[in-house]
Formats: sequence, structure tokens, C-alpha cells
Amino acid sequence: MLQTRSPAGLKLTGEIDISNVDVMSQVLRDYADFDRPLHLDLSELLFCDVSGIRALVAYAQTVDNDRRLILHGLPVRIEKVLDALGWSETSGLEFCRCGIES
Amino acid sequence: MSVDGFRHQALFYSGESDFLQGTVPFIRQGLERAEPVLVVESAEKISLLRHELGEDAPSVMFADMAEVGSNPAHIVPAWRDFVDQHGRDGVALRGIGEPIWAARPDDELVECQRHESLLNVAFGGGRPWTLLCPYDTAALKPHVVDEARRSHAFVIERHVELPSPHFRGVSASGAAFDGPLSPPPLNATSMSFGPDDLRGVRGLVASFGAAAGLDVEKIGDLVAAANEIATNSVQHGGGSGNMLVWEDAGSVIVEVRDSGRYDNPLADRARPAGPRSACGLWLANRLCDLVQIRTYRTGTVVRLVERRERRQAPPGWAWATN
Repeated sequence: MLQTRSPAGLKLTGEIDISNVDVMSQVLRDYADFDRPLHLDLSELLFCDVSGIRALVAYAQTVDNDRRLILHGLPVRIEKVLDALGWSETSGLEFCRCGIES
Repeated sequence: MSVDGFRHQALFYSGESDFLQGTVPFIRQGLERAEPVLVVESAEKISLLRHELGEDAPSVMFADMAEVGSNPAHIVPAWRDFVDQHGRDGVALRGIGEPIWAARPDDELVECQRHESLLNVAFGGGRPWTLLCPYDTAALKPHVVDEARRSHAFVIERHVELPSPHFRGVSASGAAFDGPLSPPPLNATSMSFGPDDLRGVRGLVASFGAAAGLDVEKIGDLVAAANEIATNSVQHGGGSGNMLVWEDAGSVIVEVRDSGRYDNPLADRARPAGPRSACGLWLANRLCDLVQIRTYRTGTVVRLVERRERRQAPPGWAWATN
């Protein structure tokens, strides 16, 4: 997990499952008083299990639109799981299709 | 005995005219009462029914069982959507669903039979509606027809509807399912796993799937499903488990065994409400062609089946041309 400056946010790489999801959840909790949208670059995320998706969705549900979670480079595999779980329409969750440079 | 508001009826038929006599008046009666009607049948039977219903056909909703019920665990959520979206207070609903046909492979057939029982649990006590399940007695084996007498509270046979004396009841319909599974082959690849081995679980499934010729999409599906089931073992099934992987008749099969138990018979077919709901089994069913869950005294077995190619559609009138 890396911090990105422009846009302000984080980049997740590698694989997320129950062995490391707590780290990701903690980092997200650290952004609890962030006052802008939080950008997450997932373009180099190789695997994300349901616990990881749960953590992202749970974060998005707790923030209002000004602090929404914007996912960049969502891998098609993770998008498929998000759709299968019926969580794609979560309020506070936005998908950016235009690349991380947005 | 009625299952509260839900009336689950098997219709035994033999031949096209018998099928139409058993279904068309049922549909027309629903339309006369302004009840929402959904028919989930093979494409051929749908076109036959549309023709028979004539100008009434547009008032009936149709869905192709080949799409809805290729994985039998998808059928309860489909009926749930129908009842939730079209149910109104004071008006019943009705449906026709034929999930079982003779060419279904054995593993799918037994899951269809489990599905028929679980319908009683899923809808018993809820909104009043009637589901009519046609069984082609000319094509199906006698034990399949016998099981329909146990999974349905009512049976219509030779156009006479009677309560089924063999109905197992709602509570037994949802009892832990401990039916036998075909034994895994002796040369299945085996791996024990604990909390730190999920990456290895994914790696083994991915490499086995690739060697077996599954396409990339299906490998990803099977890897994600196996990971969630193994995660369930680690978190709720005693902390560890054993995984077997093998190939069988055009399928790659992953089996996960642990010492846990599933208490909720509908755990794999209840749409996850939100990020706090359980959803591993739901997801497995969305990603795999078939999921078989068994709870034995010694623990739980979950079998994930990914077929190399999509299966054939259910037959329309195979028996008419035979």
C-alpha cells in the first residue's frame, strides 16, 4: 500500500486477503477525518478477496459525497465480484474509468 | 397441508397436450385474478405456451430456465426477486418452474432436488403464491418422480390435485443436507491449509485450472470462489481445512472440507444485504457452474464445479421426437 500525492490517495498493489486486510482497514480508518474525496489506485492490485472488498464498501458507506471513495483502474475481476455481490451501487463509491491521471 | 401462504405443487405430465392442459388453465386463472404470473421454462416450451395463450401471452412474464437455472442455486433468488418486485398486498402470485429435465447431469439433478425442498423453506410463511413445477414422467426416472412427492406439498397427477402424503414438511426441507457425494478420485491433488496458506490455495487452483484447459475467466472465477470457501474454513470452520482438486468429464472440481457446520440452509442463496452480511457461498454460486454443500456429523464439504464448456440448454420436446 503506497501513498499517492496527485490525486491525494493510495495505491494498492499485490494481493489482499484476510491475512493483510486489517492493515488496509486501518489505513482507511486513518483517513476518517480526510476532508476530500479519497482516490484509490487499484490498477496493480492482483487479487482482492471479499474481505478486502467489504472494507472498501464499508468505508464508502460511512462517508458523504464530498469524501467519497474514487476507485481508479478497477481490475475487471474485482468489478465482477463487486457486481455479483450487488455492491456496485454503494453510495460513496465512485468508479473512474479514465486512468489514474484524472 | 398448505405451506402457509406458499403453495408448492408438482405437476406430473406426459406429452405435449398433457403439459398444456396442466399449465395453460393455471396461467389463465392467474390472469383472471390479476395475479402476476412468471413462467420459467425451456425456450421451446415458452414459445409453445405463448402460442397457446394467444393474446393473453403479453400479460405473462417468461424466463428461460437455461439461463435462470443452469446453476440450480440461482432459482430461489430469481423467485425471490419476482415475489418481492411484483407482490402486492391482497393479491397472490403464481409461477411455473421446471428445473428438472432428464439430461441434467447427476450432480446438477441432485442439487435441483435440494432446490425443490429449499423452496419450502425460502417461501413458507411469506407472501401467498403458488408455484407449479412440471415433471415429465415419460422422461424422468421413477426415483426422480418419487422425490418430487417428498419435496412438494401438493401433487397433480392425471389432472387431479391432492396433498402429497409423502411431503417431508417445511422443517425437514431445510434440515442439514447430508446426502452422499460421488467419491473424489484417488489421484486428486490434495492440500491442507490454515490461515497462512490462502495464497497457496489460490495458486494451486490457478495452476490446476490452467493445466486442465479452463479459460482465463473461469480460472479467475474458480480461484476467487475457492479462496472464499477456504476463508470460511479458516474463519468459521475450525481454523483450517483440506482441499482436493481434480478433473472430471469436462469439469474442474475443487472440494473444501473442514470441521464446521452450516446452520442456515439458505446461506448460499440469500442475496448479501450489505458489507456485513455473509457472502462467500453466495459468491461461489455466482462464479461457479455448480456448488454442492454437504453437512455431515464430522464437518462440512463444499464442492465447486467449473465446467470447461457451457452446458446444453434444457430440452423442449425431446420426448415428442423420440
